[in-house]
Amino acid sequence: MKRPLGLLFLALLTLAGALPAGAAAKLRVIATIPDLKALTEAVGGDLVEVDSLARSNQNPHDLEVRPSLMVKLRRADALVVNGLELDQWAEAVIRGANNARVVPGSPGYIDASRGIPVLDVPTVRVDRSMGDVHPLGNPHYTVDPGLAPIVTQTLLEGLARLAPEQRPALERQRQAFLARLEPALARWQTTLAPLQAARFVVYHNDFGYFFRRFGLRQLGTIEERPGIPPSPAHLARLVRDMKDAGARVVIVVEPWSDHKLAARLAEEAGARVAVVNARLGAASGSEAYLASVEANVTALAQAAR
Amino acid sequence: MRAWRIAAIVTVLAGFPATAAAQDAEALRREIEQLRQQMERSQREYQKSLETLTERLQRLESRPQPPAPTAVTPPPATPPTVAAPAAPATAPPGLADLARPRQPFTLYGERRQGQLLFDIGVAADLVGNVVQRNVEKAQAGTFAGRENRFFPREVELALFGQIDPYARGEVRIEAAEEFEDGERSLEVNLAEAYLTLLTLPFSTQAKLGFMRNRFGLLNERHLHDGPQVDRPNVLVKFLGDEGLRESGAELTWVPPLPFYMQALVGVFNGDNDEAFGRGSLKAPLVTGRLRSFFELGDAHALQLGVSAATGETPDRRRSTLAGLDAKFKFTPEGWRHSLLTVGGEWLYSNRTVEVFDATGAGADRKRKRTGWYAYAEVQPWQRWLGGVRYDWTQYPVDPGDEWAVEPYIAFSPSEFLRFRLAYKHTERSHRVTGPDDRGSGRILDELLFQATFFLGAHSTHGF
Repeated sequence: MKRPLGLLFLALLTLAGALPAGAAAKLRVIATIPDLKALTEAVGGDLVEVDSLARSNQNPHDLEVRPSLMVKLRRADALVVNGLELDQWAEAVIRGANNARVVPGSPGYIDASRGIPVLDVPTVRVDRSMGDVHPLGNPHYTVDPGLAPIVTQTLLEGLARLAPEQRPALERQRQAFLARLEPALARWQTTLAPLQAARFVVYHNDFGYFFRRFGLRQLGTIEERPGIPPSPAHLARLVRDMKDAGARVVIVVEPWSDHKLAARLAEEAGARVAVVNARLGAASGSEAYLASVEANVTALAQAAR
Repeated sequence: MRAWRIAAIVTVLAGFPATAAAQDAEALRREIEQLRQQMERSQREYQKSLETLTERLQRLESRPQPPAPTAVTPPPATPPTVAAPAAPATAPPGLADLARPRQPFTLYGERRQGQLLFDIGVAADLVGNVVQRNVEKAQAGTFAGRENRFFPREVELALFGQIDPYARGEVRIEAAEEFEDGERSLEVNLAEAYLTLLTLPFSTQAKLGFMRNRFGLLNERHLHDGPQVDRPNVLVKFLGDEGLRESGAELTWVPPLPFYMQALVGVFNGDNDEAFGRGSLKAPLVTGRLRSFFELGDAHALQLGVSAATGETPDRRRSTLAGLDAKFKFTPEGWRHSLLTVGGEWLYSNRTVEVFDATGAGADRKRKRTGWYAYAEVQPWQRWLGGVRYDWTQYPVDPGDEWAVEPYIAFSPSEFLRFRLAYKHTERSHRVTGPDDRGSGRILDELLFQATFFLGAHSTHGF
C-alpha cells in the first residue's frame, strides 16, 4: 500500500518539475467574468493571456464553484475580480487553487471596482426581505462602456504592478483602446437616442449603468426581488404596467434568463424581447469588449424599432 | 305655412344656445388638455430634476474615501468623453506599498464606514420526525432519544474572514438539542475554529485548528448543508453522530496538472469517539485524501475522491478507515442549477478489537466491515427538488447490518430558506431495544422534516 502511494507522489513531483513553469513571458490572468476578460485583453494585448472563470452563458451571481475553475487559477499570475459582492464565489475558488499570487491582499489580486462611482448604493437599512440585495451597490458596471476608462486604468495599475517594465506598453494599448472606444460611444449614443421614448423591462437589475449612460428608461424587473423568482401577482402587475406604458416596451434578457417566461410576457403585453450579452466571450482579443457592447446596442435597437 | 315659419324660428332659437354650449365645451376640453399637457411637462421636469439630484447624491455617497477626481462620471446628460484617461478614485497601491507589511487598519481602509472586518452568519437547522411508538420506546430512530419531536438540531453562528493578507480564519459556534445519558438538553459548543494559511509556497495551503475533516464527500459538510435531512447511516455508524471533527492540521497541495487534483495529508489528536479516540499526538490520527475532477463537456461534471484515516482507539488498538467517493452533476446549458445530481460513498473499516472467550481471556481480533450509500436527485425547477437515497452498512464492531431507503422533496423559496420532507424506511438485521429492554427498533418507518434558514453571510461551498 505504501509503495504505490509513494510512486504516485514521486510521479506527480516529476510531472510538476517537467511542466514549463515560466515558459511563456506572458502574464497569465484570470478574470471572474467575460466582460473583465475582454477589458483585460484590451489593456494587456499580447502581453497577457486571459481566461474567464464564468462562461458567457452563466449567471455571474451564483456560479457553481467547480474544481475546474481552480485548475484555471492554479497557475495564474493575477486574478481580476468584479467586486461589489457580485463574484463572492471567487473566494472559494481562491481557497481551492492553492495559489499564493492571487489571494486577497497580494499584488496579483485586482479588484476592478475600485474608483467606480457606484450606483444604487442603499441609503436605508437593507435586509433580505428585499431579496438578495447588493449592499455595496449595483455591481454591474462593466456593461456601461462609459466606465471602461476607469476599469482599464485599474487593470493597467494592477498589471503594471506585476510587470513594471511593461507599463509603457500597457499604457499605449490602453490609449489605443480608448481611442477606439470614443467614436464607438458617440455612435452608440446616436443609435440609442431614438430609444429614449421606449421602456425597458429587465430580468434582473443589471443594466442600470447602461440605461443611465444612454438615457434609457427602465419600466420594471421580471424578478420580483433580486434573486427571487417572480410570483404570478407580480407578473400580472408587470404585464399591466407594460400595457399601460403607452410606448414600445422591450424585455431585456441575458443568456441565463428564463427566455420562455420573457417570451410569454412579451406576447401578453405586446412587447418585444432583446437578448443581450449573448456575444460575451464569443470574441477574443482587444476588440472583444467593443464587439460585445456593439452587439448589445444592436439587439436593443432592433427590438425597439 | 305660417306655422312652419314659426316652428323654424323656434328651432333656430332653441338650437343657438346648444351650439354655443357645444363650443364652450370644446374650449373647455382644449383648456383641460392644455392643463394636462402642462402637468405632464411639469411632472417630467420634476422627475428629471429628482433623478439628477438622486444621481448626484449617490455619486457623493459612493465616492471612496479619501475622494479623488475621476474623469468619467456616472451617466451624463450629454455624450460622455473618454479622451482623458481617468485615474481610479483611490489609486491601487504602488510597489513600495505592497512590499510594506500590511496592518489591520490598512485593510479596514478597503471597507466602507460601519463595516466589520469579517463576515457574520447564522445557519439554523430545525428538524422533526414522526416514528412508530415501539421505535420511540427503543430510542432507536434516526434522531435517537428525540423521536416524535421537532427540535433545533444545529443553530450555528459563523464568523469568518481574512485575518491578514496571509491567512483566513473561521469560527463556528453551535447550539443544539442533544440527547445524552437519557437526558435531553440544549447545549452550546464550539463547532469549528481554524485558520488557513493561504500564501505558502509550492502551491500548498495549511489549515490548523479544530475542523471538520476533509474525508469523503459529506463529512466536511455541516448538517444544514447536507443533501438530505439526515446523514447516511453508514457515516453515522462508522464516524459517529458528529462525523470526523478533529483538532490538528491539514496540508493540501494542488500539483500543476492539466486537470484538478488535490492531495491532502492531516495529523490530528484522534478524538472521534466512534472510530478512533486515543486523543494524543503521540499516536495521532493521520488522514489523507486525493480528490480529482473532470468536466465532460460544459454540462457534465464528475468528481472522484479517495480518502484514508488511521489512528488508535482509546484502548490503543489500530483503527483504519478507507473510502471512495464520486459525485456527478448534469447542468443543461444556461441553467442556474443542476438538473441531475448523483453521488455516493463507499467506506471500509478495519478495526482491532479485544474479544473475550468463555474463560474470560482476551485476544485481539480484526473487524473488517464495509458500507455504502448512493443518492440521485432531480431539480427541474429552481425552487423544487426531489431525490432518493439508498444506504447499506455493516456495523463497525458488532455483527449485523442495516439498509435504508429515503425518498425526499425540497422546496426553497429563496437560497436562504429551504424546507425538506422525507420518508425513511430502515430495516435492521436484529432487534434494537431501549432502556429496560423496551420497544423495538428493527423496522423503522419515519417521516422526517427540516426547515433551514440563513441569516447574513454564508460561506460559498464547493462542488
